[in-house]
Amino acid sequence: MPGSSMADSWGSVWQGTAGAISTRPGPVSPLGTDELLAARPGRVIALEGPTGLGLTRLGLGLLATIAERLPVAVVDVRGWICPLAAWELGIPPERLVTIRCTDPIKWPKALAALLEGIGGVYAEVPTGVPDQVLRRLSALARSRSSALVLRPLKGTLPAGISFLRLRPAGVVWDGPHEGHGRLRIRKIALEASGKGAAGIQRTIEMEDDGENLVCVVSGMAVTTSRRAAG
Amino acid sequence: MWFPEWPLRRPDAPQDEPCIVTGERDGNLRVVAANRRALAAGVVPGMERSEAEGLVPAGISLDRDISSEMFRFEPVLNVIEDVIPRVEIVEPGWLFVPISGAVRYFGGEGPLIDRVVKEVDAVAGHGGRFGVANGPFAAHWAAKQASEDEPVLIVQDDAEFLAMLDVAALGTDELVATFNWLGIHTLGQLAHLPRPAIASRFGTPGLAAHRLSSGEDREPSPRDIPPELTVEERYEEPLQLLEQVGFASRALANRLMEALTPYGVAPHRILVEAEAADGTVRSRVWRSADPFSAASLSERVWWQLRAWTDAAGVPGGLVWLRLAPEDLSGSGRQLALFENVAAKIEAERAMARVQAILGPDAVLEAQPVGGRNPADRVRWHRWGEEAPAPGPEAPWPGQLPDPAPALITPEPKLLEVEWDGGLPERVRLGSRWEPVLNWAGPWRQVGAWWRNETTVDHYQIVTSAGAMLCAVSDGKVYLVGVYD
Repeated sequence: MPGSSMADSWGSVWQGTAGAISTRPGPVSPLGTDELLAARPGRVIALEGPTGLGLTRLGLGLLATIAERLPVAVVDVRGWICPLAAWELGIPPERLVTIRCTDPIKWPKALAALLEGIGGVYAEVPTGVPDQVLRRLSALARSRSSALVLRPLKGTLPAGISFLRLRPAGVVWDGPHEGHGRLRIRKIALEASGKGAAGIQRTIEMEDDGENLVCVVSGMAVTTSRRAAG
Repeated sequence: MWFPEWPLRRPDAPQDEPCIVTGERDGNLRVVAANRRALAAGVVPGMERSEAEGLVPAGISLDRDISSEMFRFEPVLNVIEDVIPRVEIVEPGWLFVPISGAVRYFGGEGPLIDRVVKEVDAVAGHGGRFGVANGPFAAHWAAKQASEDEPVLIVQDDAEFLAMLDVAALGTDELVATFNWLGIHTLGQLAHLPRPAIASRFGTPGLAAHRLSSGEDREPSPRDIPPELTVEERYEEPLQLLEQVGFASRALANRLMEALTPYGVAPHRILVEAEAADGTVRSRVWRSADPFSAASLSERVWWQLRAWTDAAGVPGGLVWLRLAPEDLSGSGRQLALFENVAAKIEAERAMARVQAILGPDAVLEAQPVGGRNPADRVRWHRWGEEAPAPGPEAPWPGQLPDPAPALITPEPKLLEVEWDGGLPERVRLGSRWEPVLNWAGPWRQVGAWWRNETTVDHYQIVTSAGAMLCAVSDGKVYLVGVYD
């Protein structure tokens, strides 16, 4: 029987986790969610939140539509991204290129070079990249009609960069039960905001069954906006 | 083996006056062979036809007829196949033969080549050049370097032999011009440059050139080709007319390329097999330096079938035709990878630039392979380099179930887990303890004890901070993946 053991510094993987979050998703938007969750040329989507709640898989899933006709790239800052997940989500192996870059100085240059010629990019954002640089990259993605999914490893992106901002509000796994079964279906509640969400904050419930593309579960109610769209 | 003047071996080619044979290359009519008188006048194979005709205005200019050349070359192939099986033909007058097995049988390269030269001379006369090397690129250039007086050149060390050659041997004009401009004039000079630097500056073509100049174009190991990638057709009525055979060859070649397209691969060697109405089965392997396209493949199948038919090698007509790839190269993937040429060029340029910024080891592609753990099921290679051969399809009992974790730790990381009666209770994530909401497992992987591998149990553990894949070995818990 395994016993307790000493952990090393791997806990930094969960950096940015503010603590356990609610596993009860809030009200769900039924309006235009298919269109909402699509990486389109020239759009920048921000995925913000702690590691472990499904944002990597969501980001890869967003690229799957583009990978049907164009090569896509993944910028892996930690060296952890596993292409198996991308393949499961429908990205063909021959259309996926992984870029490993830990240097925050070289990262913007590499991403800019990718945006010049690649149709879709999922990029983890290392800490220490200035806001101004992120704004330039966002503008470059728009001008080059590249779909860009940005995943800051810590914190959030500055305002005005992304067309759509997605934050996990809760996650529930179906499948395992006291040693039996296996991980099967993950339901994620996402808070969507930004221009892509029509300026209001919506909650979207998504389901990932691991085999098919990430799909949006039909919703039940519309979240009312609590603030004015800017 | 190479017959430089094979296209001139035709009845209408005069011996006593300048004569050139021209064929289409790169969209232009170029000289493919010239007789002594034309060569003496300054004509060089590869020269444009108009330029050559200007040098020998009174000479005879003939159009290449590959089908007839193939018909006349068939007896040469047959005598070589009597000595060494599996002849691979590139075009009439130019072939490769893998000789490692035959060398052992004949007791050395010398006796084997003597026998082949003797047999070939008996049916085709003198004029053949023979090169022996480890790789086809070096063998080809050895044959080209051989002379009429010394028609056999045996290369002991491919890299050493290639080092003396001009970079023009690579055959890619733009790249060669750039190398010359940079002061790189021989393949040896190119081979001495660090490969990552070449990859960063020249991308895929540069890598291929560096590999060739280093003598690293060995034949890939044989591998299993999935049966669905072989196409065949049986004809109820034997095909006796050449037009019928031509149509059948084109249709089957197109079918094969269509079958290969979804896999993103293309063959460099194709086995053509045909059965005659009397039950005679004939086969031949065709080889191409570039991956076959539908057009180039159907052309070669047609040449081969016509040669057999003209030589009465298909008695009663053709009843069965089969095309099987002998190897599969990832080079063909670009046909499927990019939607159009512009997108291809843009994407390649972007990747090459990223390679220049981050280095070649930072730009990677991956291939799915068999394995039990997620990390084992991925084989990485540098972008632009040839993808490693996929292993044979096989079931993997004990494989961890899908979905795969989106994040895999490069090295297993120690994880602090509290257990209660064999059940995980809580996990330490950073500075806090997270209660285990649910868990599944273990999936036991028994290691190879003869390699001192230990038994590992894998668990899927769900906490409110997410789900993770853990490995338990020797009483310690390691994080191996995160279902992010």
